[in-house]
Amino acid sequence: MAKTWIKSLIKAFYIAKKDAKVYYFKAPNFTYGLLMPFALFIAFSLSGQINPLLIIPGLISLVILFGTTSIEAVAVVLEKQTGTIERLLIAPISFFTIVLGKALAGLFFGLILSIIILIPSAIISGISIANPLLVLIAIIISSLTFSTLGVLVSAYAKWVPEAQMLSNFLRFPMAFICGVFLPIENMPIQLVIIARFLPLTYSVEALRISVGNSISIFTYLIDIVALILFSFIFLIIGSKILQKRLE
Amino acid sequence: MNIIIKTKSLTKQYGHILAVDHIDLEVFEGEIFGLLGPNGAGKTTTIRMLTGQIKPTFGEAWIAGYDIIHESIKAKESIGVVPEVSNVYDEMSAWENLIFAAELYDVPRSERSKRAIELLKFFGLYERKEDKVANFSKGMKRRLTIATALIHKPKVIFLDEPTTGLDVQSSRMIRILLKQLNKTGVTIFLTTHYIEEADQLCHRIAIINKGKIIALGSPEELKTKAEEEHIIEISFSISKDVEEYEDIENQLKNLNYVNSISRIGDKFRLYVENTSEAIPIIIDFCRKNNLKIISINTLKPSLEDAFVKITGLSPEIMKIEKETKKRVSLG
Repeated sequence: MAKTWIKSLIKAFYIAKKDAKVYYFKAPNFTYGLLMPFALFIAFSLSGQINPLLIIPGLISLVILFGTTSIEAVAVVLEKQTGTIERLLIAPISFFTIVLGKALAGLFFGLILSIIILIPSAIISGISIANPLLVLIAIIISSLTFSTLGVLVSAYAKWVPEAQMLSNFLRFPMAFICGVFLPIENMPIQLVIIARFLPLTYSVEALRISVGNSISIFTYLIDIVALILFSFIFLIIGSKILQKRLE
Repeated sequence: MNIIIKTKSLTKQYGHILAVDHIDLEVFEGEIFGLLGPNGAGKTTTIRMLTGQIKPTFGEAWIAGYDIIHESIKAKESIGVVPEVSNVYDEMSAWENLIFAAELYDVPRSERSKRAIELLKFFGLYERKEDKVANFSKGMKRRLTIATALIHKPKVIFLDEPTTGLDVQSSRMIRILLKQLNKTGVTIFLTTHYIEEADQLCHRIAIINKGKIIALGSPEELKTKAEEEHIIEISFSISKDVEEYEDIENQLKNLNYVNSISRIGDKFRLYVENTSEAIPIIIDFCRKNNLKIISINTLKPSLEDAFVKITGLSPEIMKIEKETKKRVSLG
């Protein structure tokens, strides 16, 4: 049993490696994945005082959200559109392995993007990161959660722009109510309740705690567990939807 | 002989449409087996069920002894699949495509390169191994797709319309390579709507129409069935007017002793019960209608004739290519 799982995981890594080669450098990943969160961020930063410990974790979460959902829109939808997904369907691997492979490709993409953003922004703003290991864990788990969300959305879509549009229905509301620009404690209670059902809230919170060493480690752990739960739910629903769509 | 593929009442239903209707097949180890039928007959659906891409609505199937539903991973390990549209990754090189296939099929790390080199050489792609597949011709892509399907040394290889969309030379090359491959012991299951291809390549053929298997046998056995009927091929000195052709075709069809008729270019093929009785009637008809005969021949039945006799379909229907190739169902 354990051997089967390890085998599946290795094959999922091979799919992720292939996806990196084939899909990482496609244009939509840069336009939606990097430029969009930057544009949003600059627009908001200009309006008020900038506290780097508050905004850098928010920016990282946003980049992971936009980056991973964009790479999934390309990696899942293009694979369906060009018919190469058949190559994976005929291979001796389960559907779950295919979807996990796709999610891992998104995870690495999110990790790379967030490190590209984190290091220069920390240097420029002069902050020192309180707990680099916890930051890394939060980035990895956030990347997993948002790429599984990307798989779920892309499983529905027929075309890349459709997947991007469907993602925007989730990305933009999340960007505004999950504490990216303003801590959720400052928001009305109704919005706080909604925010607690959205994964970006937990990602921003976990990153803020680990970057700035604020609040408690207990909250950090809750955030990580919540993100892992979201990932599982998205993975299972995403693989069911994709399977149904391909039939 | 060992049975390597077996289906029992294999059925696929989409809404009210029975795409594949209770088919029973047995394919023997080492043979080239062809599923011949017009577009929309159910060939691709059958292959997609056998290769684990879609689940049957009803029925069972086994490949190399493994149940395709309950032991799908094991069944998939025993097969290689070449879909109708070449599905190698354009962004990767021929080499990278083969290595990726080897990784997915658990080929031991130490053997991956060796097998990739062997296959690239066998399929005449070794010199281009580092080139991106996007720069390959259709024929080269098809050869690479077949190569990737063979990386794990499968017992059976499934090919869906292996030469559709290829030029004459590439098609010929693919057929020669498939014959060579079969000589190494690989069982080949292919679908085609080219009657000639089935005749040249297959040891046995199953004719499928509207989801049902309507005939099964070697090309020679199928031709023998058609020999009960005789063929007269006749051409007239008439204008190239389509309506005139249709008019003559309809009149010839109604003559005594004529069972059916088909048109090939400017010639009419009449399938008759008795040549000696039919010819005077035909000549008489020509005389009455002032039709000048250019040529008249009696023919030995071909596989195409057998196909016409068995299915009742016109051979023209087999020449209709799909207008747009939909590569995967996107829901």
